[in-house]
Amino acid sequence: MPDSIVDDKVYATARQPIRHDSAIKHVTGGAVYIDDMREPVGTLHLAPGWCRTYAKARLDALDLTEVRAVPGVVAVLTKDDVPGINDVSSSFGDDPMLADGEVLFWGQVVFCVVATTREAARKAARLARFEVVPGTPLVTVADALAADSHIMPEYRFGRGDVAKSLKDTQRRLSGQIAVGGQEHFYLEGQVAMAVPGEDGDMTVYSSTQHPTEVQHTVAKVLGVTEASVTVETRRMGGGFGGKESQANQWAALAALAARVTGRPCKMRLDRDDDMIMTGKRHDQVASFDVAYDGEGRILAVDLDFASRCGYSADLSLGVNDRTMFHADNAYFYPNVSIRSQRLKTNTCSNTAFRGFGGPHGVIAAERIIDSIAISIGLDPLEVRKRNFYGPGRDVTPYGQKVEDNILAELVGELEASSNYWKRRTAVRSFNAKSRILKKGLALTPVKFGISFTLIHLNQAGALVHVYTDGSVHLNHGGTEMGQGLFLKVAQVVAEEFGLPIDQVKITATNTAKVPNTAPTAASSGSDLNGMAAQAACREIKARLVDFVSMEYGTPADKIDFRDSQVIIGNGAVPFREIVKKAFIARIQLSAAGYYRTPKIHWNRDKAEGRPFLYFAYGAACAEVTVDTMTGEMKVDRVDILHDCGKSLNPAIDIGQIEGGFVQGMGWLTTEELVFDGQGRLRTHAPSTYKIPTASDVPEEFVTKLFDSPGNREETIFRSKAVGEPPLMLPACVFSAVLDAVASLKPGVIPPLDAPATPEAIMKAVHATRRGGV
Amino acid sequence: MHDVTLTINGERRTVALDARTTLLDALRDHLGLTGTKKGCDHGQCGACTILVDGRRINACLTLAVMHDGDTVTTVEGLGTPDDLHPMQAAFVAHDGFQCGYCTPGQIMSAVGMVGEVAKGWPSHASASLNGKPELTEAEIAERMSGNLCRCSAYPNIVAAISAAAKDTEASS
Amino acid sequence: MYETSYKRPASLAEAAAIIAADDEAKFLAGGQTLLPTMKQRLAAPSQLVDIARLAELKGISVSSEAVTIGAAMTHYSIASSPEVQGAIPTLAKLASGIGDPQVRHRGTLGGSLANNDPSADYPAAVLALGATLVTDRREIAADDYFQGMFTTALEEGEILVRVVFPIPRKAGYSKFLNPASRYAMAGVFVATLADGAVRVAVTGAGQGGVFRATAMEEALGDNWSADAVAGIKVDPSDMLSDIHGDAAYRANLVSVMAKRAVVAAAG
Repeated sequence: MPDSIVDDKVYATARQPIRHDSAIKHVTGGAVYIDDMREPVGTLHLAPGWCRTYAKARLDALDLTEVRAVPGVVAVLTKDDVPGINDVSSSFGDDPMLADGEVLFWGQVVFCVVATTREAARKAARLARFEVVPGTPLVTVADALAADSHIMPEYRFGRGDVAKSLKDTQRRLSGQIAVGGQEHFYLEGQVAMAVPGEDGDMTVYSSTQHPTEVQHTVAKVLGVTEASVTVETRRMGGGFGGKESQANQWAALAALAARVTGRPCKMRLDRDDDMIMTGKRHDQVASFDVAYDGEGRILAVDLDFASRCGYSADLSLGVNDRTMFHADNAYFYPNVSIRSQRLKTNTCSNTAFRGFGGPHGVIAAERIIDSIAISIGLDPLEVRKRNFYGPGRDVTPYGQKVEDNILAELVGELEASSNYWKRRTAVRSFNAKSRILKKGLALTPVKFGISFTLIHLNQAGALVHVYTDGSVHLNHGGTEMGQGLFLKVAQVVAEEFGLPIDQVKITATNTAKVPNTAPTAASSGSDLNGMAAQAACREIKARLVDFVSMEYGTPADKIDFRDSQVIIGNGAVPFREIVKKAFIARIQLSAAGYYRTPKIHWNRDKAEGRPFLYFAYGAACAEVTVDTMTGEMKVDRVDILHDCGKSLNPAIDIGQIEGGFVQGMGWLTTEELVFDGQGRLRTHAPSTYKIPTASDVPEEFVTKLFDSPGNREETIFRSKAVGEPPLMLPACVFSAVLDAVASLKPGVIPPLDAPATPEAIMKAVHATRRGGV
Repeated sequence: MHDVTLTINGERRTVALDARTTLLDALRDHLGLTGTKKGCDHGQCGACTILVDGRRINACLTLAVMHDGDTVTTVEGLGTPDDLHPMQAAFVAHDGFQCGYCTPGQIMSAVGMVGEVAKGWPSHASASLNGKPELTEAEIAERMSGNLCRCSAYPNIVAAISAAAKDTEASS
Repeated sequence: MYETSYKRPASLAEAAAIIAADDEAKFLAGGQTLLPTMKQRLAAPSQLVDIARLAELKGISVSSEAVTIGAAMTHYSIASSPEVQGAIPTLAKLASGIGDPQVRHRGTLGGSLANNDPSADYPAAVLALGATLVTDRREIAADDYFQGMFTTALEEGEILVRVVFPIPRKAGYSKFLNPASRYAMAGVFVATLADGAVRVAVTGAGQGGVFRATAMEEALGDNWSADAVAGIKVDPSDMLSDIHGDAAYRANLVSVMAKRAVVAAAG
């Protein structure tokens, strides 16, 4: 029987703010990350070798004599050492693990040194002699557009006659916004350790969000069956999308080294190498042409995204599709055309990053709204609300009906709790009096589609064993990177069996236990794995209920699991006694659970279907102060109201919301990636790339969960996904900065690009004063 | 090779090290203390923060030989799972972490910071250079500027430090 | 890191002797600049001569005219010194804003001044206050000491022992920091010395490292007020231009920081 949205069940473990399962280990230094694992005797260390001079070059010869001569060097790997296929891509086959005849970006790995110490490997890696013929690299979006350089065909969808609407309208505006990329800067860098076994088997410990893909990649590179490779991931020190596909290469190199040397091999990237070699959030330029009416309602939108994908496809198809799926954010576009160009450049291969392209769509949508508001002199919040999806205006540009919209209510509540209108008046009078400091205020919504848009990824497996002492072993395909997934799934299992959380043993993700899994991505970890684990528990419970029903002569509907007991009619027997009896009676106490997301379908060629099971909603309000002499910006106050349905763990979810907000704020305000004209990344250390610190958190920072009756879809205990949606909440900070700069000259749309660094703000200030040119 | 003697977490230990070995590598690779994490290895993220003679420093940005004779405290020496240091307990109580990788560094830095405040050392954010600084949240944030948390668990980190600092003050 | 060896001399004389005998040896104090450089293989000293613990380079003393600070004193010890706080509070404040706390516990005054990074803070204080740099061989006036970025008057093997900072009538420092590195993108130190002379030094912005903004000195000499410097622009063509900010932006920052420094000096 499906759970009803509103139920009277008393939850003992699910929906409770239980602390992270590794809490004690984290604070005592006992949590083991891969680099902390005791190395087996004889472990060798890897260091990547690359051409430090060019981003694009033909590779004619490689002299490794001096590399091999360094004491401690055991092997030097090149493409010729690959017994299988020299490719670490997720699907497109265009990511050579070791360069093959050409260098396509600054940082591409050409060879790999295997040595007795990391120091020796790193030293040797710098001693190669390259014979190359340099080419002219394509670095920027503009370079790639000029050269018509695409990594894959463009994609479009939309509806209505946009050209006609734009032509016929009284009110029309166009604009462009460049939005930068973002370095993941997971505190634990890319790392893998491979241990060779008998018969060519390989066990790989990898810091990856996608153990299954690492398994497939290692098998592909080594030319062995997938069954010969086992990948294990206990925890990551952060992932954020940067270890979805980008962990493959390092694990595969470690495995190849282990194969070649017959010894355990560890690959841990140095931080600079990590920042130089691995892909980042895409940067995009969005151009828009919009028709709207006198009330600020959008009539037609023509939107074009040009996205820097880097030298290979990686996950760019899905990432850029998601930009398009979120180019409406929360707004109804009656006539719309959305185009996305995926550009090939000689830069690292851009990849997944929390939000997976969605944030670029959201920022474009919010800039459109802000531009309309500034042009007709309405408050941006008023324009936002007028453009929300609503009855009769509820179909997205890709044809999915918005059935679960709660934004009117949610935004109304935040509008009141943040005291928006009173503060709007205060901001206006502050700005009237203050010459140099200007305040800005903005309240922006988020509507984020939940499900992988690559439909087949929406499946998950779990393995649950109940032992005869009543303890439970839990395993599933999801990975833990700090988001609390392991805990949330354990809460589900504890809830199902009516056991305390510490009776459920959380174990490392392992491809030998649960196979063929999806990456832990798209915010879907708890939705998918929670349901799979619940299915496993319910299978075991059903067997136990049958057994108890027979044994005690009690009808099944009078049997329940709670407080470590099996409730049997009016009596109760400890869970562990029932389990022991069941074992003696030869009842199977283990089950593999499986789940696939219902309802979703998507035909990409026709651009129709329902790619998302549901939407997650939220809104945030920010007030900022901008110094128009220096471009310095301070976030004075932020109020967040976010929808987690019935939260599986409110403490974890609030952490995800706050963390996502600050990380997104970093993307939009301080984190600037700079490539020079030769395609070399100049910001490859935290000394040049500014990640938020504690002092960047808004002074007043109020986060609340929306009081939801529960997800209207049948998700795990009616919760909603929370990983990515909050990353887009800080659109309000970016809009508030725009609002502050716009106060300098009414009617002029400041040409503010992201990130809004002090220098970018100053440029927008000067341009606005000049009239927006 | 140099013989380096350190008093680590109360225990005197001597280890033969190359002059180039950082204190961080000495702890992790030679002394088996992997609680101290390697984040950036360039002194910019704070994940390797430890206390040397009571002062918080980045273990990656100092050589072990420079500390011959010094007293070192790492996260392993602060408390145990059964007997947590008040700062560790506060991080647990306030969920002051997500992925946990920066956590040992945050905790060591916070312990060092509370010690500095107790001695009346001002920070850049302090309004006054004289007298004991008041440990507001803004003050804590500024004093923790050397410790990055990419998960941005900062609100909880600051709350944990604030609570632990108040407890320390109350009990002293 | 390239191979090296380590020495911890017991005296200044012994340190000088080691360096004199080996061209490739380098002094090591806090190591906050040298070690990152060595890790990037941009420096390969044959020997590291650790002078951080030498008694001769330690200590802070105050007379009626000056504050004298040992070269091996850390930023933290300077920031937290009641003597410095009492005599030249702006200097203590400056020290408390260098890098982050972990760096301040290791980095030293002497290390910073010997390196003369164009965006370091101390050079602005030394130059604006007209400090005297005392080495194991001689005394060097601030105006003669800084000779372009990463270049100083120090000779091969010469050890900076202490710095004598004259106590000003008033002083103020304001910097616009690079949010990632926390180094100054523009830092301005303003001071009125005991003899009434006004000096203004700018760090972080100039192509040639720290420099005196003479136009600002004249303006403040006539009229010590924020407005007096607000309108004075340094020449953008002399300013640094890099990924963190172009020359015009830095030139603008110098004027704003000068104004803020004057305001800070008043308070």
